[in-house]
Order: sequence, then structure tokens, then C-alpha cells
Amino acid sequence: MALPRLTPVRRRAALAVSGWVALAATALPDGSPLRWIPVLAFVGFAPGFVLLTRQPAGPRPDGRLEVYALAAPVSLALATLTATGLFLADAFSVAAFLGILAAFVTVAALLPGFRFRKRGGGEDG
Amino acid sequence: MQKQERAQAQEQGPGPDRPERATGGAVPAQPDGPHGAEPPTGPAAEPAGRFRSPLVLALGPLLVAAALWLWALPRIDFRHIDEFGLLDRFPVTFYAALAVLTLGFVLSLRRAGTAPVWPAVYSVAMLVALKAPPAVLYETVRYAWASKHDAIITRLLAEGTVHPGTELSGGMSAYDQWPGFFALDAALVRAFGVDGAASFINWAPVALGLLTLPVLVLVYRTFSDDWRLVWTAAWIFQLANWVGQDYLSPQGFSYLLHLTVLAVVVRRFVRPGSAGRLRDRAVLDPAAAAVPPSATLRQRAVAVLLLVPVIAAVNAAHQLTPLMLCVTLAALCLTRRYRNLGLLATAAVLMLAWYLTMGRELFLDTLSTLGEKLGNLLANSRPGFAGEPTGPGPELVGSANVLMVLALGGLAVTAVLLRRRLARSALPLILAAAAPVPLVLVNDYGGEMIFRVYLFGLPGSAFFAAAALVPAAGAASRAATAARRTATVALPLALLTMLAGFLPSYYGKEGMHYAQPGETALTRRALDRAPEGALILAATGAFSDAYYRYDRYERWFFTEQEVDENLRMLQDPAGYLAGGIPAGRPAYVILTPTQAEAVIGEGYLPPGGFDSLVAALKASPLFGVVEEGRYGIVLRYEPTTG
Repeated sequence: MALPRLTPVRRRAALAVSGWVALAATALPDGSPLRWIPVLAFVGFAPGFVLLTRQPAGPRPDGRLEVYALAAPVSLALATLTATGLFLADAFSVAAFLGILAAFVTVAALLPGFRFRKRGGGEDG
Repeated sequence: MQKQERAQAQEQGPGPDRPERATGGAVPAQPDGPHGAEPPTGPAAEPAGRFRSPLVLALGPLLVAAALWLWALPRIDFRHIDEFGLLDRFPVTFYAALAVLTLGFVLSLRRAGTAPVWPAVYSVAMLVALKAPPAVLYETVRYAWASKHDAIITRLLAEGTVHPGTELSGGMSAYDQWPGFFALDAALVRAFGVDGAASFINWAPVALGLLTLPVLVLVYRTFSDDWRLVWTAAWIFQLANWVGQDYLSPQGFSYLLHLTVLAVVVRRFVRPGSAGRLRDRAVLDPAAAAVPPSATLRQRAVAVLLLVPVIAAVNAAHQLTPLMLCVTLAALCLTRRYRNLGLLATAAVLMLAWYLTMGRELFLDTLSTLGEKLGNLLANSRPGFAGEPTGPGPELVGSANVLMVLALGGLAVTAVLLRRRLARSALPLILAAAAPVPLVLVNDYGGEMIFRVYLFGLPGSAFFAAAALVPAAGAASRAATAARRTATVALPLALLTMLAGFLPSYYGKEGMHYAQPGETALTRRALDRAPEGALILAATGAFSDAYYRYDRYERWFFTEQEVDENLRMLQDPAGYLAGGIPAGRPAYVILTPTQAEAVIGEGYLPPGGFDSLVAALKASPLFGVVEEGRYGIVLRYEPTTG
């Protein structure tokens, strides 16, 4: 499957800003595709993707499939916990919800000491 | 390299003569068969050859099916559903599109080893073809339970928080105690800037299917290198998943997370030194994958950290899935490969922590009734509350369901018995499928337990059912050749049969699931009119907007009980209902066409029972008609006039 070929640095940069782009998109009119598509793409993919690509797992069969298959459920799990925590604390707002997730993704993408694996996401054995 | 050889062998497909070629047999090469990863598609190819090129063969059925489906879509007569749901409302071209997709999928399996993308494309196309029509066509929320979840999300947004300690009638407080999934949806509603979850709710089956498919494939790839087997299993999973848990629901979402945990465990939690001979190709089934690389304690600990948010989200979202997850992890611990007690303990601690804090009331309540339900196998495995469904449509659905279970189970057991080496290497899948079964002994889960056990056993069952239909490529024995010849016919036949079984199961009771906009408007008007604290009566809760503004009213779905009691009720419906309404309580009865379908579909009332109920209430001086029309009737309880 042809996947976008981004260098690790560019991918990290793209991830780091993706949440803030989604947050900025919420300034667009209600229900606009230009609003909900970036929000959905970020919430449903970025947090899990950044977590999975920063896992220090070694080469394993179908490593790329693993990252792309698990990114969405892991992302939605993190989004669920974030939203649940905010509602439990009676502190929910779109800015808080997306801001927390965006901050998490930014920190995870840029934090020194982690390395992306070569060839982005894993080596198919 | 061994893997490439296997891939080449796989791409020959289930055709009777391909494997011999792959293994050096004397069968001549087929003109439509690939000779490598890059098939000849250049401009110099003969025109006739072009039509048989792999790309055309792969794309052709897809385009034909898409054209048929698009032509059929506006002709689906969903507004005039009769006793067979959508089955007799789908145009013939809709069925033709599904059949062409099935055959295209089977054809794509022939090259699955080198081009697994085509079976993937067909699987996605089938998912969309099967489940998108309601999302595209319906103006209202499909399925009463999805509508209920819409109401819960609406309330959460209105309240801004949850009240796990507040008692709400009809067990609705459980949704405040496990609010995770609703919190996610509420957050998305606000972030999208849409009015409510209703704007995307009918797309949930497609979305959940798209998210589940790759996770499932990942699980299957862990146990098989044969893409044909992997995609056939995923295809069977789609068709056998008729239990209707794919709507916008905590169950559907947490099931995805459950599969995610399973995928991570089988791939990243192999204990060092536990693989034994399961990495030795000489002892493995030709289609089996070697056990994944083992993980050190540290690597497994890191993987636990990855899983903690996923398991925590399962716990925040749903009551039953954490238990299913724990029993699955416990079952996996029975193997040396996956004896990860630390992960099991983590999952158990997270589950108990939620049960004893947020979910404390329901958990303690369930514990208190455990004594009477424990061991009551017959009662706990009984689907629903009432009698047998009546009417040709629901009866067809019932028969299709039973046949699907028998077909799937029969195929899976056959494969486990005949392909023992595959069963041995994929033992974790068998254990994961069998693990939830003992829960039938424990609780009935409101008549749902048997369906949930089936759902959680489905990934393993589908894998082995596929193994029965996709013999290993490469083996040259006479039996293997005979099996491959049989599979050439059996595979498409079985997939078409399963498709025929899926459609009644999924769309055979659509009269219960589709509500005309006029009906939902009538329900909302009635509820808006009722004063806060009123008692709302309806024959069943299985109708759209039954739970609209549910925290303002108490509801009594009066046929959701034993059939004998309903027969008593039908002797004097007005008197029976009046006897159940507390003195001085304002009460309204809402009866709609989807309720009429539901009481038949669920077997609550005998044929004609609903009409006689309506007639009796209209004639009774105890009830006055507030509103009546083709979308239903609303009556007010008027005891002073009686």
C-alpha cells in the first residue's frame, strides 16, 4: 500500500501541529466539512499514531500494518479518557478537549529522548 | 525466501490446479495468472489479454457492483416496509451487486499473496454496500437503541456532567456510571459543531466496521501468513456479525478496543522461550504463521503501558466488556506463550476499580442477584424476555440466525478437527473464542448474554470457518488436491450462503428499526406535552425517541414481560394499565407503528394483539385520545372520567 513518504522530522512536525490545526478548525462554521474532517482525523488518528510510532518495539512482522490498524482505536481510547475526565470534572469545553489531546501529541512528537523507528512505523518481516 | 515462496503459493488461489504450478507441478500456467509481483499490463499486450489482466479482473467486478449498487440505492423502498423488513424492498440489482462483490472477492483471493490490497478493497466495498444504505437513505435515527444513545448524549451535553449516584428509572443511571463512550460522542458533537449525534449516528456501523477490519486482519495475520485465509476470515466475520452490535453503542466501541487489546497481546506478549516448535515450518500448517518474536519482561511492561489507556477506556465505556476482556486474558494465560499474569492483574484491577467506584451501585445490585442467576443455564442463555417471534419476517430472521450459527460453528469445528496443526498454532484464538462461554452460567445480561458470547467468540470462529474453506496452498498430497478442488466451488458457495443468511438477520426486522419522521415527531410532541414526572406508557421501548428527555419522565414498557402476563393484559388492556399507574400520576400512552412491528418481532404479543390493544384503549373511558394519525396514537390517562 502506498503510504505518504514523510521524513521522520516532517512527520513529527506534522503531528505536532495537527492538533492545533484541528483546534483552529473549530472556529469555522458549525458542521462545516472543513471543521469536522480535520477534527475527526486528528482525534481518531494522531494520539494513537504518535504513541505507537514512539514505542521502542523492535522489528516485527507486519509492523506497519500494526501501527495503522491500532492507531485509530488507541486514539479513540485516549480521546474517551480525556472527554470522560472533563465531563466528570464538569469542565468540558471543545478547547479543553482538543487542547489536551493536541498538547499530548505535540509533547510526544517533539520530546527529546525518543526516536522514530526507521522507515516510519515498522519493518515488515 | 520462505515467505516469498508462501506468498507465491498463496497467489495461486483456491483453484484446483494452481498449487501444483506453485510447487513445481506440471500444470501449465494460466493466462490470467500472475507470474510475479508485477503482472504484464503494458500497452503491447493483446486486447483480449488486457481484459484478462489482473487489474481488469480485480477492478471489473468492483465497478460492476458499484454501478448496480448505485442504481439500486434510490430504488430501495424503505418507506413502505412490510413484514419482511427491507428484504423485499431491495431491488434485485442490490442483491446482484452483493453477489458480484462476493465473486470479485473470491477472484481477488487468487492473487492475495502478492496483492492483498484487492481483497481489502472488496471487504471495504462489501461493508459499505451492506451497511451504508440506511445511513444514506434514512432521515431518522435507525434502531431504537441508537436513538436511546442519542438521547443520552443529548442529556450529557445539556447537563455538562454525569450523576452516577442519581437514580433514574428504567436502569438509565447505568449510562451515567459508564459514560465513556457518550462522553467521546458528546465531545465530537461539540467539536464538529453539529446539533447532535443524530447527524452522524447512522454511519456508525460503517465507521466501526472500517475501524474493526484492520485490527481483525492484524490478529489473523499473527496466526496465518496466508492472505487468502486472513481475508476470508475477515469476510466471514463481517457476514457472521449479524447480532446488531455495530450501531453507535458502548458495546460496539468497546468491542473494537477489546480486539485491539487482543491484537497487542498476541503480537507483543509472547514470553521468551515459549514458542517451542511453533516457529519450525516443518511442524506448522502451511498456512500458519510462526509465533511472533518473543518479548522481554521490559518490552511487555512497555506494552502494558500502551494498553492501560485502552483497557481504561473499555472500563469507562461498558459494563460487560471488561469482564469479557478479563476472562479472555485469563484464558490466554492457559498457554505458556501468553501467560502474562501482570497484564491480567492490570486489567482486573482497572475493572474492579471502576466497578467499585463509578459503577458501584449496579455492580452491587448485580452481585445481589447473582445467587439466583448463577448456574441457571437455560434462563441465562435465553434470548430476550418473551416468546417466539411471530409473523413470516421475524420467523425467517430466527431461522436465518440459527442457520448462521450452525454453519459457522460447523465449519469452525471441522477446521479445528481437520487442521490440527493450525489449531495448535492458533490455539489462542480458540481460547479467546471459548473464554466468554462460561459467562452464560453467571448472568443473563437482560436477555442479551447469549448474543454477547457469540459476538466475542466470533473472531476465532470466523478464522477457523475460513480455514475450513481455504485449504493450504502448496501441499501436493491427493487429499490436499481434492480439498483445493472442493474449495473452488465450496468457497464462493459458502460465502454466498452466508450473505443470504446475513441479510435476513440484519435487515429482516427493519420495520422495527426505521421510523418515519412523522412518527418521531409524534413521539416528541407527546413527550414535550407531558408534564415533568409523568408516567409514559408504551408497548415496548423499541421505538425511536422512546428515551427522548428521559430524565424528566418515568417509562413503563408494558409488554416487555412474560407472554402469559401479556395475554392476561390483552383481556382488559385499559384496566390492566390503569391498575399499574400510581394514583394521582399524570400518565400518557404512546403507541406507534414501529412498536407494532417490535411486539411481533420480539414475540411479546400474538398476531393482532397490538391492534386489539389500541382498539381497547381507544374505546375505554379511562383513556382519552390526545392525538391520532397514521404515525401513531397518543392517549392520556383520565381516571376521573372512569
